[in-house]
Amino acid sequence: MNNIDTVYEPTPQSEHLNNLLAITKEARKLIIDMAASETGCHIGGSLSVIDLLIGVYSKYVQDENTRIVLSKGHTAAALYATLYLYGLIEDNPAESYGQKGSLFTGHPNHKLPHIPFSTGSLGHGIPYAAGWALGQKVKNLDGLGIVLGGDGELQEGLCWETAQIIQAKSISNFIYIVDCNGGQNDGYVSDISPIHNLRQRFEAFGFHVEEIDGHNMEQILAALALNREKPLALLATTIKGKGVAAIEGNPDSHYAKIPERVASKWKRSLL
Amino acid sequence: MSISGRESYKDELTKLAFENERIICIEADLGGKKHPFEQSHPDRFFNLGIAELASIDIAAGLAEAGFIPFFSTFSSFAALRAAESIKLAMGYMEKNMKIVAAYGGVSGGWFGTTHHCLEDIAIIQTFQNIRIACPHGEIETRQVIREAAQSQEPYYIRLARNAVYDSLDRAEESSCRELLIEGAERANAKLCLISVGEEATELCKTILQENDSVVHAHVCYVDLKSLKSYIDELKQISDTFLVVEEHRATGSSASALALLMPECKVYSHDCGEKWPMYGGTHQDVLDYLGFGLAHLQQQIHFIGGTDGF
Repeated sequence: MNNIDTVYEPTPQSEHLNNLLAITKEARKLIIDMAASETGCHIGGSLSVIDLLIGVYSKYVQDENTRIVLSKGHTAAALYATLYLYGLIEDNPAESYGQKGSLFTGHPNHKLPHIPFSTGSLGHGIPYAAGWALGQKVKNLDGLGIVLGGDGELQEGLCWETAQIIQAKSISNFIYIVDCNGGQNDGYVSDISPIHNLRQRFEAFGFHVEEIDGHNMEQILAALALNREKPLALLATTIKGKGVAAIEGNPDSHYAKIPERVASKWKRSLL
Repeated sequence: MSISGRESYKDELTKLAFENERIICIEADLGGKKHPFEQSHPDRFFNLGIAELASIDIAAGLAEAGFIPFFSTFSSFAALRAAESIKLAMGYMEKNMKIVAAYGGVSGGWFGTTHHCLEDIAIIQTFQNIRIACPHGEIETRQVIREAAQSQEPYYIRLARNAVYDSLDRAEESSCRELLIEGAERANAKLCLISVGEEATELCKTILQENDSVVHAHVCYVDLKSLKSYIDELKQISDTFLVVEEHRATGSSASALALLMPECKVYSHDCGEKWPMYGGTHQDVLDYLGFGLAHLQQQIHFIGGTDGF
């Protein structure tokens, strides 16, 4: 039975958690703002991956030897929001997203600081992050290669070629976070080309596999803090459009351009 | 009212498939929901997911089995990502299969460099044996799709994104493999503009209206075999050409025509050497690359020299 009279005293750890939750809320507002831009944005996937991005950046943002790559590049809005809120880019991306003369293009642009690799052609971010990790290993450094990809993206053969290489070359300083939101451009992953037995697939390639709720910051941080000797595959169950009740779980939210008044309403009612 | 080249493709192929049971439609997660082909011919529609290389090799297998597969994705993911599959299956082995590549050039606008493709014509042309078509507008796109379905040759058909264009008038029974000449009656014309693709054709239409010293030759097919077939007719029109094409200069139709007509002057209005790194509309990105009406007018003025055109 809950004791409602208990005075909740935040510990430093819960303060950190609350801070992250506040950041994710601000990030969602920025993503909604980018959906209200002249071009619109890939809002569904951006809202599904944002908690994972914030969690990863909170842990590794000051680690010079680690590179974080968003391989599902169509969710650039989430990456731009994250970089902005962590002070890694100066300009508010929502103010020029997609516009003429802006480097905030619809897919991540390595011309921007702290974006190591231009992504958007799916699959390429995974071997890039593996290459970075291999480089750290060769130099006897403790940096990581971390990639955030999509479950639909796993249909690209490049993902599995990289998994093969990671196992063959014992690249254990590698983290592959899969944003399993179940959607892709044309509909549901389960309808188009389902990825069966995902845990077993990664385990067969020598990964340590953790399955988490990709919107639960505690679980995200706990998984990233695991002591392990193998490369880590973090299979994060997420919801497309998470936080905006009007589009949560709807594959049609893959890409949206919304009016300003709708953006205001969605930001006010963020869950 | 016209529809875009992409929508024209889907609609025309769906209609053709009622008459031809060998036609198969393949997508790689970029065909959109409620694809008309899927709704009309669900047993011959395959969305193979985000897997372009495999899709093209699978299409080759289907072609070997007697089908006529049409595979559609964005031009960058076909011509660049799956270049080796195209080289072998379509170029070397000449499988009867067709690639329909949307987002040609920088029509993706704000989507950014990963979604632009200014190199595809060069790459595909290098492989030999593949027909390359860059139709302009709905009517020409529909006709190219019909010609592709009837032909035994492999095809690469370059389309833009969602913009709508009105095709030039072409004589009935005329093939898209024939030159389409505007301003042929201009006896004193000194410069022949050659347009390749949708935006280029629109630019040349505008120039033709404002400058009576030019002729406009619109070409739909730009593979080497097709370009060779135009030479005699082009030489009768002029000895000075300006090829307008949303592409890099390297491997462009201009560079091929220059080699095919060494006695003529062949200039190129293309997308230059810069990377299209910024956002904006299709037009904004073209403008950044120096491709557009003002730039073209300047170039024509320069080519005309002190005598002008």
